[in-house]
Amino acid sequence: METREQNLLRSVFETSWRYYLWLTFLGGVLVLGLVAYIHQLRQGLVVTGLRDQVSWGLYITNFVFFIGISHAGTLISAILRVTDAGWRQPITRMAEAITVFALCIGAPMVIVDMGRPDRLLYIFRHGRIQSPIVWDVLSISTYLMGCVLYFFIPMIPDLALLAERPGIAPWRRWLYRKLALGWTGTKEQKRLLEKAISVMAIIIIPLAVSVHTVVSWIFAMTLRPGWDSSIFGPYFVIGAIYSGAAAVIFSMWVLRRIFRLEDYVQPMHFRNLGLLLLSFSLLYLYFNINEYLTAGYKLEGMERQLISRLFVGEYAWAFWSVQAIGVFIPLLLMLTVLTWKRYQEFLVPGVVLASACVVVGAWAKRYLIIIPTLQTPFLPPREAAAVQYHPTWVEWSITAAAVAGFLMIYSLLLKLFPIVSLWETREAESGEAEAVSEPQPTVARPPRWWKPGPVGLTGLLLALGLLITPHAEATKKAAPRPPKPAVITVEWRAVAPEKVPPEELASQPGSRVFLYSGRLIDPLRWLHNWGEAEERPTPAIEVLATMRDASGAPISFKPMDFALRTSFGTLSFGSRPTNDQGQAKLMVRDRRLGEYPLLAGFRGDNEYAAVQQQIRVNFGARPAPALPRVGVLITPYATPAIGVPFLFFYGLMWVVFAYAFGYLILYRMRRAGKTSEPRAPAR
Amino acid sequence: MDASRRGFVQFLLRGATLVGAVAVAWKASASRIFREILPARSIAPGNQRWVMVIDLAKCDGCRDCTRACNQMHFVPPLQEWIRVYEVSDNPAAGSYWLARPCMHCDNPPCVRGCPVGATFKRTDGIVMQDNDRCIGCRNCIAQCPYSARAFNWGEPPHTPEELAQPYAMEQMYPHRKGTVEKCGFCPHMLREGKLAVCASQFTMGAVYFGDELEDAVTNSKGETIQFSKIAKRGAGFRLMEELGTEPRVYYLPPASRKYPSPDEKNSAGLVPIGIEGRG
Repeated sequence: METREQNLLRSVFETSWRYYLWLTFLGGVLVLGLVAYIHQLRQGLVVTGLRDQVSWGLYITNFVFFIGISHAGTLISAILRVTDAGWRQPITRMAEAITVFALCIGAPMVIVDMGRPDRLLYIFRHGRIQSPIVWDVLSISTYLMGCVLYFFIPMIPDLALLAERPGIAPWRRWLYRKLALGWTGTKEQKRLLEKAISVMAIIIIPLAVSVHTVVSWIFAMTLRPGWDSSIFGPYFVIGAIYSGAAAVIFSMWVLRRIFRLEDYVQPMHFRNLGLLLLSFSLLYLYFNINEYLTAGYKLEGMERQLISRLFVGEYAWAFWSVQAIGVFIPLLLMLTVLTWKRYQEFLVPGVVLASACVVVGAWAKRYLIIIPTLQTPFLPPREAAAVQYHPTWVEWSITAAAVAGFLMIYSLLLKLFPIVSLWETREAESGEAEAVSEPQPTVARPPRWWKPGPVGLTGLLLALGLLITPHAEATKKAAPRPPKPAVITVEWRAVAPEKVPPEELASQPGSRVFLYSGRLIDPLRWLHNWGEAEERPTPAIEVLATMRDASGAPISFKPMDFALRTSFGTLSFGSRPTNDQGQAKLMVRDRRLGEYPLLAGFRGDNEYAAVQQQIRVNFGARPAPALPRVGVLITPYATPAIGVPFLFFYGLMWVVFAYAFGYLILYRMRRAGKTSEPRAPAR
Repeated sequence: MDASRRGFVQFLLRGATLVGAVAVAWKASASRIFREILPARSIAPGNQRWVMVIDLAKCDGCRDCTRACNQMHFVPPLQEWIRVYEVSDNPAAGSYWLARPCMHCDNPPCVRGCPVGATFKRTDGIVMQDNDRCIGCRNCIAQCPYSARAFNWGEPPHTPEELAQPYAMEQMYPHRKGTVEKCGFCPHMLREGKLAVCASQFTMGAVYFGDELEDAVTNSKGETIQFSKIAKRGAGFRLMEELGTEPRVYYLPPASRKYPSPDEKNSAGLVPIGIEGRG
């Protein structure tokens, strides 16, 4: 075994007492976190500082932070591979490892935040594609799968190499051999491996961008001040890559110091990644200015409260120091050490210090994105203290355990897998990197087809309802002796909507204004059909009540009261006088549908006794029970407009994974190893 | 393939044909893949569109509605499903009381965001909350601009009366740890033909409740008024109309008030009735 590999494998095979001490420490923190979580499971989230106003806190901060950290690894590695940057080889493995481990920690943070983790599987059983939470589950699980594959596939040759190493434990040999998937290093296998890596590298870029966009959408899809922002997607993506690149640089430095990898991880790597970090810090600064200037310039409504809270209020101190630590200090530091000749000797410590600042600042920034917004509700809280948020020991312990868990996975897997790619660095050193044919899967958005919303049958049903003529039945009422008995006959008829006076029509859609808006001749009418509020013509009902005495002679000039029985009460229409034919006329132009009992009554006076008559009046058929059409995303079923883009995009990712790993690696590459092709020289 | 202009045009045409074919195939099959069928629980027992009108002129901030609601639903402490705010829009304008139940929006942000359909819109306009299904992610709390939702952070204190019946979605209790709670327009009362409790026991008569299709709303005093008329004549408004949530709760402005405003009440030395937690 060469010294080069000895050096690189030192991380795997040499273990000092300090390592065990480190693991013990991490284990202790993890146990603390576990105790805290069990406590939380028993008592509920009441043990946290979260309450109804601030209902998301440290857990969601950690979630966004770790998902952010996970970004750079894969993205940097993929971009460097796609652009074929020659210096990438020693650092890609570290970068990919960070991604996988951060995802393994970040994703469960949401489960920790859940009130009912026992119902976790409901997300799959009852999942609604309209919900940003489901988008998150979809995208993060896809991303985790992609990152694990992208971490694993380039490691296959190294695993085969390790499996042949003399003097390793039998379980290790067995594991490495199984995981090497029959890698023997033939030309065909190499070609297939490179191809699979290229496919994964290309597909992982849009996937990574989509993941943090979707994470930002959890916030941006709400109406809250500070979250309701259209740049949140790219803002989060840039922030994620920024913090992730810093994490990669920092971990590079730590591993380089611990395992003495100075020959492989050189100042050149710090300079190149530092330049990347510098450019992302400028981009991040740009997004910050965009985000806060647009809100701070207008000071609209609740944004004003939020901005004053952040800029000059209770968070001013935190906000400005986070901006300094997260953006300005790293920016200036990197500008100095990267561009100023005189200070170039401080390149490595300068860039590393800047990265550490960025990582810390990134976490605090996530906190400042989430908590102050929740403390600025549209309606004031019950009492000012209700918006206070003080994380409890449970939340801090679980947060500490999350960081410890991340470091623990990193430390443990360091002992299992080489942290620097052996075969890639070797190829780079011997300069025999082969040309890789890169297939270009086209990522096309699917054509969007909105289904036209259901056609309103209201008008038709209404017309049908109006045709039904009810029959009035008269009942006599026993009258007291002095006043003479009276009889009321009531009849009603529907007045066709056309007969409604024009001044009432003008206010309705369907009038001139509506016509001129071009709706009638709009070929895409069906597209925006769903956005329209339900409209129905106002039916007019004419009720004619005739009052006669016992002999049939009309009773004139008496007040006739009209009322309608409704579900919970009686709606009075007031009274109308009877005319010389004993008729009282009531015109009802209410926006009412359905059949109701209408009462026509005479209160009685000296001449005639009180009498009342009831009749059922049909105001037109009620519309069929349906969900309101204004809310297109509230349906319990998936609609194509929202279902297709998500399922297509993430479905495509899984298809590509299946191709790159299932077909190219598991099927073709393994078979290629078994063929009788002569084995390539060992090394 | 020849690299002539004609070849290129043919290439473009072939591509366009393919896209067109996919589009036609999709149009034909989309309705079969995405079946738009309402599940049984989304269909309300009756064909109504419930609506609430709160006359701010008649509200004196007594919080009887909150108390009645808390009592009926055994609302856990620190929660108020109908909360009475003392609001002042700007320093010049006087303050007023504002009772806020769940708005039962027609475009409800909480329903949009719910990952499991634990909160859903019913055909009678009610936004239901199913705590047999709620996973406690609290996305709905983040989504609701009216702060109308509350969370059971711990195990809520129970009373024997509350636990006497099994959980029913319409009845909304017994309450469970780790789930979200909110006003539900008392669907179990409506099923029996009774008014929602805040409109039926509320002494002030500021809360009117009814069916929009019936165009009539009724308050605790049995006063029934025409919904569209008071909304129009009384310049009825909805809270945060600009957010496009289309609430089903309408407010009548506190013009020509019948009771002293919060300011007057405070200056008269009357101690405003604080929010009492249910004992």
